[in-house]
Formats: sequence, structure tokens, C-alpha cells
Amino acid sequence: MVDLTTRIGPLRFKNPITVASGTFGVKDEYADYVDYRKLGAVIAKTITLHPRKGNPMPRICETPAGMLNAIGLQNKGLRDFVEDKIPYFRKRKIPLIVNIAGESTKEFGILAKELDRYKKSIAALELNLSCPNIEAGGVRAIREGRLITKTIEAVRKETQLFIFAKLSPELGDVLETAKEAIRAGADGLSLINTIRGMAIHIESRKPRLAVGTGGLSGPAIRPIALRYVYEIKQALPRVSVIASGGITTWQDAVEFLIAGADLLAIGTANFVNPRATLDILEGLKEYCLKHHIKRIGEIRGSLVTHRRS
Amino acid sequence: MYDETVTILDNRKVNAEYYKLSFRSKRLAKNVLPGQFLQMKIEEGYDPFLRRPFSYYRTVGDRVEILYEILGMGTKLLTEKGKGGTLKVLGPLGRGFSRHVERKKRILVGGGVGVPPLVFLAERYDCYQFLIGTKSRKEILPSSEIKKFAKTVRYTTEDGSFGKKGLVTNLLEDLLKKEKGNPQDYFIQTCGPNRMMERVMEIADHHGIEGEASWDETMACGVGVCLGCMVLTRKGWTASCKEGPVFRFDEMEKGH
Ligand SMILES: Cc1cc2nc3c(=O)[nH]c(=O)nc-3n(C[C@H](O)[C@H](O)[C@H](O)COP(=O)(O)OP(=O)(O)OC[C@H]3O[C@@H](n4cnc5c(N)ncnc54)[C@H](O)[C@@H]3O)c2cc1C
Ligand SMILES: Cc1cc2nc3c(=O)[nH]c(=O)nc-3n(C[C@H](O)[C@H](O)[C@H](O)COP(=O)(O)O)c2cc1C
Ligand code: FES
Repeated sequence: MVDLTTRIGPLRFKNPITVASGTFGVKDEYADYVDYRKLGAVIAKTITLHPRKGNPMPRICETPAGMLNAIGLQNKGLRDFVEDKIPYFRKRKIPLIVNIAGESTKEFGILAKELDRYKKSIAALELNLSCPNIEAGGVRAIREGRLITKTIEAVRKETQLFIFAKLSPELGDVLETAKEAIRAGADGLSLINTIRGMAIHIESRKPRLAVGTGGLSGPAIRPIALRYVYEIKQALPRVSVIASGGITTWQDAVEFLIAGADLLAIGTANFVNPRATLDILEGLKEYCLKHHIKRIGEIRGSLVTHRRS
Repeated sequence: MYDETVTILDNRKVNAEYYKLSFRSKRLAKNVLPGQFLQMKIEEGYDPFLRRPFSYYRTVGDRVEILYEILGMGTKLLTEKGKGGTLKVLGPLGRGFSRHVERKKRILVGGGVGVPPLVFLAERYDCYQFLIGTKSRKEILPSSEIKKFAKTVRYTTEDGSFGKKGLVTNLLEDLLKKEKGNPQDYFIQTCGPNRMMERVMEIADHHGIEGEASWDETMACGVGVCLGCMVLTRKGWTASCKEGPVFRFDEMEKGH
């Protein structure tokens, strides 16, 4: 038997497999295919204080080994989430990580305060500081690193919940921002969100997405995500990291563990294989058995460097 | 809903434009409604990465048939798959067409790759008139494919090479002008390019006739998660893969 238990600060997950926000719904959308209780945790799609309609269509477009999306954080808002979604996870004892985005620093604070009332039913908060698809708190936060500090401080003031700051790979200096995020009160990091990209329909000459550009996800961004996870874990070994970015197979999952990731968030891969999470979990167990690994921690951050001659 | 790896029984050209693919699967063939669809992973690899949606064209026992046309890379690769090849198929997905329309006369209006689900409907249930619009004679279905309802089918082609020249929506207008019954006596079901269906809805609205349209939106997940395939209904943006792809005309927001 392999012990896959993953501890992060005060949190304990039965295995390191979770799902990336926005790729697994907000409730039971994949329950026909996946027994949620087998997952380390579920990260729900970003919720905002008020419902959001989201962007006009088209919102998605396939690109080589990935896709662009500009959903625009369509969601039913905080109230629906606490009334309808949180109880679903609480009843089934499924560790829930709630991803939030405010349209302002203040809204982030309000969301944290409201959710703190449900702290017994929530494993952690993930702050979406990096959505390429909303202006305030999204792209603006990407442009102005200091907004991130203020936002995290606003959230920290309101809650004792464990906070993961989800960063964009497009910040000027991601490592520096990561350090600032921790200083501002974040407990862990989530890396990476999508990277902005574009595609054009050559007959109509229109962008393939109605709003012009969108976030690239899927295997196409995996090496970039891996590098960020690796470099940040090297610089900040004590800070826990949720890795996302193209994780599609168990081999990918092992790669991210070797680079130092604590949790592995499966994203776009769910769209292609609704059972991706469980398939990856199985593969991971077999890999450990084959390599006589008893505890998953033995692989974490175990990169072997090339010998220099 | 099931996700299965199926073995291709047959995959061949049926006319200049369409291919017919068939495979066997008890679970994917059971309790299917016309208008429901499947999400197919055509290649194992990463390019193309996403699955492709295809309507059920026909089920016979545990055999499932799909009728498709080459549009881009995915469908091109699909034509290269032969008997014995495998595909990952997820389904049945979505909400289909109404099978029974009480005593109303069912008018089907199809264009392009919207024709297959309507064939499913016409073959299994009743059909009063089946109007099909294509670009040219090349896309006309072989008579063996439409045997059971051949006498209800009327074609229009854009280049006039078969049937009436023009758009299928003109044919619908002509038909409704000639019909003597009350609007409540008819029910329109349509599938094709979104612009064609919008025109069908306008015509239906003008005549006070009810109906349903199956919208064609790009999909990623096919199960209501990614929020990429939305249509604008009176309830706001709605996932067409889950709440649709078939929606009643009166569910849609005007100016969709
Ligand atoms: C509910 C539904 C049922 C369908 N049923 C059929 C059918 O029975 N027979 C058939 O031939 N086609 C059908 N289509 C259209 C079919 O899905 C597309 O032709 C196919 O996805 C094109 O893929 P491609 O790789 O060849 O094209 P590409 O243009 O290379 O595809 C790129 C991306 O755009 C998407 N895309 C391209 N065209 C369409 C389109 N018209 N609709 C939706 N997504 C598209 C693809 O899925 C892919 O994600 C259906 C579409 C929907 C939404
Ligand atoms: C359709 C879609 C919607 C997403 N929505 C959100 C979201 O609401 N909040 C968020 O923090 N990240 C969102 N993401 C980003 C993912 O959580 C993930 O960080 C990113 O896609 C990279 O992982 P992947 O390549 O495995 O998908 C979304 C991604 C996709 C593809
Ligand atoms: S295709 Fe993902 S929500 Fe419809």
C-alpha cells in the first residue's frame, strides 16, 4: 500500500489529486463519472459576491494541444453558493476549496468574511488573483502587483481559513509576487492560471473569441507551469503549492510532484476525460508501487540534477 | 451517461459530402432521444485535444450510427479511421427533441450537419414534411437512407442543382403560405446553421407556430461544466450541451 496522504499546514488530504477551478463545476456536475470522495479535494469554480452573466459567445476555441477560454467568470454568486453548494460537500464530507474573486479589494474582503462563517465546511480559500477574463481584480491585478498585496491583506483580516493565492504566470516577476503574497498573509500558492492568447478566423478576420483574447490552458502550457512550480518551490520550499497547467496523465502528475508540487489540480483534461482525476490517481499509485515508494512525500521535490562533467 | 471505447464497425462515404460511421454499444444505444449527441475523442493524442460533438443519426438494436461531414482537422481524421479502429465515446448527452407532438403535423427543417438528428426523428416517429437545404446536389442523401419517410422530403439547393433553387427557409415560407390549417395544427423542429434556425424561428413566430431548435455551439466538456457552449434563453446564458442542444422557440431570448 502507498500512503498518499498530503499534509499542508493544518490541512490533511487523503491524496494530492484535486481539480482546477472552473473545470469541474460547482457541485455534482461530474458525479456520474467520479466518486468525489476519492479525490483529495475539490476546488469549485470561482464565485463572486454577486451573480455574473459572463462574456458573450464565442467563449472557447481549440488551439494546438489546448484551448482558449474567455468565460468571464459566469457564476451564480455567493448566496447561491453558500445555500446550495456548500451543503452538498459538507454532507458528503468532501474537502472543498472555495475559489473567490472580488471586483475590488473590498469585495474580496466581504467574500472572505461571509465564507468564514462556514469555515467548518470549507478546507481552504483560493484567491483568484489572476483571471484574464475580468478587468477589476483580474488583468488589473496582473498589471499592478501591489493590488495583490492589498487584496490578500483584506482577506487575511477577515478569516483564519487557509489561503492559497492563485497567481498568473504573466506577472512581471512571479517569484517576487509570490514572496509578497506570502508576506501579505497567504499560506500557500496556486500556480498557474491560464496564459492569455489569441486565435483569428482567417475568412471573417474576426477573433475566434468574442472578447478578442482568452486564457490558454491544456498540455500546451504544461512545461511553463512545471517551470514555475519548480522555481518557486526551490526559492520557497516551505510554501505549499497547488499546481495546475496541462496535467493530463499520471506521468504529468509525477513530473509535478518531482518538481515539488503539493496538490495537483487537474483542469482542462477533465473535459476530454471525465475520469481523468481517478485515472491519474490509479497511475500514481502504480508508479509508487513499482518504485517501492511507501509515502507520496518521498517523490515530492525529489528532482535529480544532471552530473556536470 | 457512459464513456466507452468503441470499435468501429463501418465508416464510409455515403455521398460526395457525408460519411456514415457505425459502432456497437449496448449502453450508448439505449434510451436515446432524437437530438441527443455523443462526444467523440477521435485521436488519442493532444492534437486535436478536445472531443467533437455528433448527433445520433440512427440506432438499430445496439448499433449506433453517425452521419458526418468533413469540416476541419477532427472530422478529416475521423474519415481515415477504418473498421476495427477505436474511438472514445461519451453519451448520450443533452436534451433532445420532443418525440410526440400530440396531433400536430410535424414539419422538419434541416440544413447541413443539422440533418442527421432530424432523420432520427422522422424515421422513428411521424413526419408531415421534411425540408432539407443543401449547397448542391452533392449533399443529397442516397434514397436508401431516407426510405421510411422519402415521400415527405423536399429539397432546396443553393445552386439549383437539385430540388428547388434557394434557401430552405424560402421553402418553409412557401409551404406555410399554402397550408390551410390553424397554427396550432403544426409543430416545427429544426437543426442546422444557427442563422438558418433564427430565420426559421422568425417565420414560425410570424405564423404563430410553435417549435424547437437544436443549436450548434462549439463545445469543450459536453456536460455543462466549462460554460463554453452557451445560448441566450429567457433564463440568461444557458449551457446548450446540458439544458439543450434542443430548446423550444419560446424559451429563447429574442434576438439570440
Ligand atoms: C450538438 C451538436 C451536434 C452535432 N452533430 C453533428 C452531426 O451529426 N454530424 C456532423 O457532421 N457534425 C455535427 N456537429 C458539428 C461537429 O461537431 C463539427 O463539425 C466538428 O466538431 C468539427 O470538428 P473539426 O475538427 O473537423 O473542425 P475544426 O474547425 O478543426 O474544429 C475546431 C473546433 O471547433 C469546433 N467546431 C467546428 N465546427 C463546429 C460546429 N459546426 N459545431 C460545433 N463545433 C464546431 C470543434 O468541435 C473544435 O472544437 C454537431 C455539433 C453539435 C454542437
Ligand atoms: C473553461 C475554463 C474555466 C476556468 N475558470 C476558472 C475560474 O473560474 N477560476 C480560476 O481560478 N481558474 C479558472 N480556470 C483556470 C484553471 O483553473 C487552471 O488554472 C488552468 O486552466 C490551467 O490548468 P489546465 O491547463 O490543467 O486547465 C479556468 C480554465 C478553463 C479552461
Ligand atoms: S460544452 Fe462545456 S458547458 Fe457545454
